[in-house]
Amino acid sequence: MKTSPKIQKEVIESCKAGDEKAFAEIVLHKQKKVFNIAYRMLGSLEEAKDLTQEVFISVFESIKDLKEEIKFDAWLTQITLNHCRNRWKYLKRRQYFNSDSLDDPIETEDGNMPKAIVDPSGNPETIYEKKMIQQFIQRALLKLKEDQRELIVLRDLQGFSYEEMGELLGLPGGTIKSKLHRARMDLKEVLERSAH
Amino acid sequence: MDCEKVRDRFSSLLEKELTPSEEKIVREHLSSCPECQRELGRFEKTMQWLHSVREVEAPDGFLPELQKKMGEQKKATPDEKSRGRWFNFPLSLKLPIQAAALAAIVFLALYLTKMMPMEVSRLKDAKQTSSSLSAEKKSEQELVQKEVERERRALETAPETPRPKDVEQAKPPIPGEEKMEGANVPPVKAEAKKTEAPSSKTEVMTHQAIGSKEAAGGKVLSLKPGKIEKGLVAKEKSVAAPKPPQEIILRISDREKGISQLRDLVKQFGGEMITTEGNMFLASLPTGSFPEFEKELAGLSVSAKTDKVIAKKQVTGSLRAAPVVKREEVDEKSKEPARLATDVESRTIVRILLIQE
Repeated sequence: MKTSPKIQKEVIESCKAGDEKAFAEIVLHKQKKVFNIAYRMLGSLEEAKDLTQEVFISVFESIKDLKEEIKFDAWLTQITLNHCRNRWKYLKRRQYFNSDSLDDPIETEDGNMPKAIVDPSGNPETIYEKKMIQQFIQRALLKLKEDQRELIVLRDLQGFSYEEMGELLGLPGGTIKSKLHRARMDLKEVLERSAH
Repeated sequence: MDCEKVRDRFSSLLEKELTPSEEKIVREHLSSCPECQRELGRFEKTMQWLHSVREVEAPDGFLPELQKKMGEQKKATPDEKSRGRWFNFPLSLKLPIQAAALAAIVFLALYLTKMMPMEVSRLKDAKQTSSSLSAEKKSEQELVQKEVERERRALETAPETPRPKDVEQAKPPIPGEEKMEGANVPPVKAEAKKTEAPSSKTEVMTHQAIGSKEAAGGKVLSLKPGKIEKGLVAKEKSVAAPKPPQEIILRISDREKGISQLRDLVKQFGGEMITTEGNMFLASLPTGSFPEFEKELAGLSVSAKTDKVIAKKQVTGSLRAAPVVKREEVDEKSKEPARLATDVESRTIVRILLIQE
């Protein structure tokens, strides 16, 4: 699991008591994780940044309600997913993703990149190609259903275990596995369709 | 195992979650099925790409920016906060509130569009009723005017003898006036006709008869004053008010002489001339001296005969009072007999018609 370092129980307790330094520590520890989930779920760095801020504001406001400090990570991920779902609906209603196509230039950390068609069954990739592939995947993820994208993001990008995912999503492990496989197969189809 | 089942196990195969026996079956199928082999290859590539996706770094200065934002939110007034929060509310909460608001708007719109016309129509009805009432009043007044004119014509043609039947007819309708109070307007008109028309045709009518008529009317009115509706009383007044004062026809041979004699006579009895219109004179006399005046006036007449017509009006107070006022005063009088008894200023208005023979 590619998770950020565990936060000490004392820090969470201090944050619960309203200690802003403890809160800042939590933010520094967890901002990358929250930001990445948000970015993969929404496909926009700007939206991801805004959402990450909202998530941490929610954390600060409601951390006092967290009963078991040991479940802080799962709690934080749950808040992040909820915010992502709401934001996705909001953006969808405003047809934010309507012009979205795999053929469009892709927004990256290094700026926009031209469209690249890569055959998944193709040859070894260059660094340039690797970058393109990452963005290509990101575009394809956005073409999936929201719950499918969640599964792939959590499992294949964030490295959550099936058990953690089962807890987060309230589903049995078997269901998670079969759904995740369906999502991966669909992603493969999306990539193939856009490659040809 | 068919291709579909094998492909469903690709994830488990790559994550090594298949039992050895299951894995063996899948591998055997793959070795004999090039299509499934190709599919597995693509699937592996997709998974490889997915796992190659790097994490992006959080934006620089994220924490200071967040702290700044939180500081701004703290400063924000509660109003602004709640307004902002509305947009972040989940739809499951927002929708019912919006639906309720919509229902309220629809109800109000329906109330305004459907209920208002009813009220407007009610207002219209009210207007119509009032206009019909005024129309009725008008028609009644016209009717009364016609009656007066007919009366004059009758006086001018001067039929000789009274018809006792008519006199009798004139009496009974008066008690009928009490019906008038509560009855609809058309019957009132009918009553008015019944009471007015015969009397106008009658040349001579005794004071007693008229007096009793008045008294009867007054009594009836005074019986149930509480039950009388104002509007209807007004109507009744408008019907009854234009009753002319006492009329006397004076037949003379010399007009000038007759007029001067008449003036002298009026002055003699403490009265005064109110108006003079050709051969029509309107005089006011103290009620006490009226019988004497009447006798003397009869002496002036060539034919030694005066024609007394119509109802007697005893007027209290102002001589120039309009007919309506007179009638009102009659009503008052009937309600307050004590006041009438002490009224020494009681006067009689008499209309004298000179006919040269």
